[in-house]
Amino acid sequence: MFYKWHVGSIAWILHRLSGVLIAFYLVLHIWVMSFLQKGPESFERVMHLLEHPLFKLLEIGLLGVVVYHSLNGIRLMVLDLGYGMAHQKKMFLAVVAVGIVLFVLGAIPLYPF
Amino acid sequence: MEITFKILRFDPDKDKKSYYRKYTVKVEPGMTVLDGLNEIKWRLDGTLAFRRSCRSAICGSCAMTINGVNRLACNSQTLALKRKTIVVEPLRRFPVIKDLIVDMDPFFEKIAIIKPYLIAHSRGGSRERLQSPEDRKLLDEAVTCILCGACTSSCPSYWYNKNYLGPASLFKAYRFIFDSRDEGTEERLGIISDRDGLWRCHSIFNCVEACPKSLNPTYAIAELKKKIVTTKL
Ligand code: SF4
Ligand code: FES
Repeated sequence: MFYKWHVGSIAWILHRLSGVLIAFYLVLHIWVMSFLQKGPESFERVMHLLEHPLFKLLEIGLLGVVVYHSLNGIRLMVLDLGYGMAHQKKMFLAVVAVGIVLFVLGAIPLYPF
Repeated sequence: MEITFKILRFDPDKDKKSYYRKYTVKVEPGMTVLDGLNEIKWRLDGTLAFRRSCRSAICGSCAMTINGVNRLACNSQTLALKRKTIVVEPLRRFPVIKDLIVDMDPFFEKIAIIKPYLIAHSRGGSRERLQSPEDRKLLDEAVTCILCGACTSSCPSYWYNKNYLGPASLFKAYRFIFDSRDEGTEERLGIISDRDGLWRCHSIFNCVEACPKSLNPTYAIAELKKKIVTTKL
């Protein structure tokens, strides 16, 4: 039988997953940027490709991932400083609530359709 | 009311792999999971093995995984679990000796590593070493720990790395490091900031959820992290 998921372990696994995704994005990002070396034309071409709606949607996803990782990162730092220990669950709810607001605000201008 | 106990069983003499076995027990209000296990052992199947001693949540012998959470069997009311089936498993990531009995040696070795005794180089004289009520208060939670192992066995960092000291051991380290009479702080901070030490704690809080004494090992670990950072600075 699986061990029961609690708020803390859910926050942790999401933090891990988002961390891995961000690391993956970073590699992609550096790779895209490396086209700069190959001159303005090839960089323009890649940038043009990234105008595709699919990449816009992926960017919206990236926004969600980064927002969660940053906000929960703040939660973890506060907790590791010994503050709000008794309220870690409420802090997670706050992360989710503030995260949704930031995500929606940021996603609207990115939305391609 | 009839409740099914689904118990993860393993006999090293007979079984290659552990397996679940079901028992139906008539439970009454007030019956704990330990009472249920006794009922099974005494009336249905004498081969079932589990540890218990005090049956009052003080000896720490009966920690096990009940419906996917670590708890004390003697401290868990069957009816309060609100399930028709109660799944009982040995503490995970501890080596199983038989059925619900796990080998606690690795657990206690990790307690021993942090030197769980007062270290005092200065001579105390013939009187006891006094402590102010405020200083004693810092230790209230840490001295309440009954070393049941529920926390360490619930910790994902420990599942991943069995060498990790784990919440119980770090909690014990806290108990002495924050003891105003103790002089072993430097030594212990060195031990717990080792690569298998407290930096493996990612504040997941599974230990807090599991602790049958409602203690907060994560808080103690955070205080220790702060102490290490501030002493190193
Ligand atoms: S901190 Fe709680 S769960 Fe961990 S060993 Fe002590 S009493 Fe058991
Ligand atoms: S039997 Fe002692 S703690 Fe459960």
